[in-house]
Amino acid sequence: MLKLHNLTRVYQTEDVETSALNNVNIEIAQGEFVAIMGPSGCGKSTLLNTIGMLDSPTSGDYIFNGENVAGYPEKQLSVIRKHNIGFIFQNFNLIDELTVAENIEMALIYHKIPAAERKAKVEKVMDKVGIAHRAKHLPSQLSGGQQQRVAVARAVVGDQKMILADEPTGNLDSAHGQEVMEMLQALNDEGTTIIMVTHSPAHADYARRTINLFDGHVVAESVRVAEQTA
Amino acid sequence: MFRNYLITFWRNIIKNGVFSVINIFGLAIGLMSCILIMLFVRQESGFDTWLKDHTQLVRMHTAYTMPNQEPFETVRSAGSMMEAIRDYAKNEIETGVRLIRFGMTVRQNENVFPEEFTMVDGSFFKLFDLPFIHGSKESSFNKPMDLVITEELAYKYFGKSDVIGETLTVCCVTENTTALTITGVMKDLPDATHLNTDMVIYLQPALFSDNDGMLNTWTSLNTYTYFKLNPGIVPQQLQDRITFWMNNESPLIEIFSHLLGDKDTGKKVTDLFSLHIMPVADLHLNAKSQAGNMGDLTPMGDSKMITTFIIVAGLVLLIACINFMNLSTAKASKRAREVAMRKVLGASRAQVAIQFLGEAIALVLLSLLFALVAVELALPLYNEVLGKELSLHLFDEPSLLFTLIGLAICVGIGAGIYPALYLSRFLPGKILKSSKSVESKSSTKFRSVLVVFQFATSIILVISTLVVYGQTIFSNNMAVGYESDNKLVLNIQSAGDNLASLKQELLNLPEVNSVVFSSEAPSQDNENNNYFNLLEPHANGYANENTLVNYHNMGYGFFEAYQVKPLAGRLFNEDFGLDTIKQVAENEIGQSSVVLNHSALKKYGFSSAQEAIGKTLASDIRGKQHLTIIGVIPDIYFRSIKFGVRASVYTLNPERFRVANISFSTDNMPNLITNIESVWNNNVPMQPINLQFLSEMMSAQYQDELTTAQLFLVFSLIAIVIACLGLYGLSAFTVERRTKEIGIRKVMGASIKDIVTLLIWQFSKPVVLANLIAWPIAAYLMLTWLEEFPYRIGAIWLVPICLGVGLLSLIIAWITVGSNAAKVARQNPIKALRYE
Repeated sequence: MLKLHNLTRVYQTEDVETSALNNVNIEIAQGEFVAIMGPSGCGKSTLLNTIGMLDSPTSGDYIFNGENVAGYPEKQLSVIRKHNIGFIFQNFNLIDELTVAENIEMALIYHKIPAAERKAKVEKVMDKVGIAHRAKHLPSQLSGGQQQRVAVARAVVGDQKMILADEPTGNLDSAHGQEVMEMLQALNDEGTTIIMVTHSPAHADYARRTINLFDGHVVAESVRVAEQTA
Repeated sequence: MFRNYLITFWRNIIKNGVFSVINIFGLAIGLMSCILIMLFVRQESGFDTWLKDHTQLVRMHTAYTMPNQEPFETVRSAGSMMEAIRDYAKNEIETGVRLIRFGMTVRQNENVFPEEFTMVDGSFFKLFDLPFIHGSKESSFNKPMDLVITEELAYKYFGKSDVIGETLTVCCVTENTTALTITGVMKDLPDATHLNTDMVIYLQPALFSDNDGMLNTWTSLNTYTYFKLNPGIVPQQLQDRITFWMNNESPLIEIFSHLLGDKDTGKKVTDLFSLHIMPVADLHLNAKSQAGNMGDLTPMGDSKMITTFIIVAGLVLLIACINFMNLSTAKASKRAREVAMRKVLGASRAQVAIQFLGEAIALVLLSLLFALVAVELALPLYNEVLGKELSLHLFDEPSLLFTLIGLAICVGIGAGIYPALYLSRFLPGKILKSSKSVESKSSTKFRSVLVVFQFATSIILVISTLVVYGQTIFSNNMAVGYESDNKLVLNIQSAGDNLASLKQELLNLPEVNSVVFSSEAPSQDNENNNYFNLLEPHANGYANENTLVNYHNMGYGFFEAYQVKPLAGRLFNEDFGLDTIKQVAENEIGQSSVVLNHSALKKYGFSSAQEAIGKTLASDIRGKQHLTIIGVIPDIYFRSIKFGVRASVYTLNPERFRVANISFSTDNMPNLITNIESVWNNNVPMQPINLQFLSEMMSAQYQDELTTAQLFLVFSLIAIVIACLGLYGLSAFTVERRTKEIGIRKVMGASIKDIVTLLIWQFSKPVVLANLIAWPIAAYLMLTWLEEFPYRIGAIWLVPICLGVGLLSLIIAWITVGSNAAKVARQNPIKALRYE
């Protein structure tokens, strides 16, 4: 599904040049569940954002569905992004002024889907993540777990084939964290590609593959052998 | 602690760059407008308050309210009134004085100077205690024809100020020149007085023969009459006394007996003819409302204009204050942590509130400094537009300085109190714990209300400005009914017997096409009323009814020169030999001609111009006259269209000719002027020439409105600029606050266009709402204002003006917001989402 080849991302400030990613080569196939791990500042989020086309590489290639999108302008990226990629953040990033249903619906508005169809899709996805009974509530009235479920719903409501999750359980207690992980697992079982940054080895175990980053380099890749050999 | 406050204040100004500039700049131009208007208002409303005992000084005005006639009001009164009332109301009146105005010329060596003289009763300086430099109010007026002049004139004619005993040769109080002895020199009068008298002459009653109607008359209104009240008497007491006298004791009862009828009809003299007194300090602004627009000693002020400008100044300042409130509360979250920490470290809510209030006042004081500089820069232009000599001498006038500082502190408190209370309310626990926005919903809403208010106010101002401008343009361009191009108006009052040769020599000039005499040129608004009674009855008219009509005297060729064509009949024509009014003896009736304008035709009730031709008007001009109506012309505007057209008749009485109307065709104007001047000097030596372009005289009629419109425009533009500054600041802030939301939207697939549209729409809503509020208010105000004008732009014009201003306000808002919106829309959403 996507392939990073010699990908480098350099941040330039006035007098310091910081290499966030250094010659990264990764290939991820459709339907995979990949965890990205590493210490703070190792480039996990930069990698995730680059994959999510929120950030552009300084050099190297990024092949997405057979297209090298590395040099694409923002406008083109946004079109590819909204049809293929859903995002889940540690701090949920829901819009405070919109209700649960409206937050989820927002993803569809930019897909230019008619209102009636939007409504049906939103209801369906709310059922799926078990948040339908809070449809008219504002994010501030929900618990963290519930908020993250809304965020998950928002990420998949447009039938996105890939979900990028940036520490989705970082702000949640273990019970709610578990809940969210199971939801991601279920989505993966339905064929959605999931790439997740996490600090938690337990949650990383949900993934079939783990990529370890250190100082912008891929230092190790481990695969859950049991399933790999099966 | 104070130092700590100062440091925080200063660093916040620096840190909030754009916002500080918006606040300071907005407040500075708001204050500047306020100070400029205040200077003007202060002078206008302070007229004559410097006169000693001004609360005891009153002037008497006159109003005619005769049946079937237009009411006639004037600031003057009849010559016999002063003495009669002074002697009757001894308890109320300490003394009275009459003033008569003259234009005369002073001759010195070979030069002539036109001057305005004021002839006064000997009691003048008892009433007006003007300061003397040489001589005194007691010693100056010993006998009639004694002359007191101002220091300025003393220097003009003698080059020194002590000129007691010197003489000035003047022409023409009597037939010949007279030498007047100067008995006193007074200080120059300040600008803020309605008196405007540089030369005061002790009145010689013998100069005015009885039939002149100047002094010994009860009904002819030629003098300005003032009284000084006894201590403890208020104007209303004198007013009541005068009214009682008028109805019960005055000679007017006899004079109007034919109109009053029997006693039991209950009709009173004051129903027909009334006297009104007004304190001198009120004259400048209010005489107009009591006594009409014309004939005062100096141009009158306009209390409505003053009120309007006070309101505008207040609004502009309010808009600037709102910017401050909006931006301060919007920025509040940025300083929430500071407030929280101060509270944690032991500050009370009051201390925090006072700190923020202090910051607001400091910011306004800083703005005041900039405003004062701006006022100094703007004053020359402002004075030119207003025709005033206003100045700002802060250090000579500590009271003004303290007023301004007081104003700044009030503005500071007004603008700062809400943000101070709002900010000091923050609870430290809540803020330090959460990373969330501390902004409450209600404060966002409050800001929207303020923005709507700002824009509604600015929009009302702009619509009003456009309507005022439109009306002024309309008045200026309205067909006046005559050809006004290429005309010069020459005053011939001092030409004496040399008129014929003057006219002939003017006609000999190659550029001059025609020279026509008349009593007035168009735009000279002298109202002359006389009885013209229709003799023959007709369907809608009455015979022999007393009909007071305005009349002008036009020489042969006047209407032709101004290209006025008759609606019916003919114009004055020398060939008929009948048109000129001649003096007739006591028992005879003279025969001559009269021309009516269209309004007079209606006044007499004729149904068509043709119907009037051949009918007769009886009048008393140089003896009894029967005037045959020979022609009817369309209405032509002798005065500002603002006042409408008077029903007028035109006679041909050469005695009354005062101006020569010169039609010319030339490209070399200076040459023509020089030629006319040399013709004048040949024929009328030792008299200054008074020559004006008709077009300039006409536009002078609209100067007031034009000035009002221009100032109005400037201040409305300032209001809009300030409001836009606020909107810019607020949109910058909103964009900052919504960075996260915009980031989310972008991640969800929103394009830059989507984001910009979203933000622009958010800021369009208050502007659209402001328009919906402003339109009806502006329409109501302007329709009311337009009612003053007999001829006005149609109400329908308000529709495109409102829509246009609405669109303009939206476009301005879009441009203002657009740059901020585009900036944030282009930002990488990651920043917004990762780090809050």
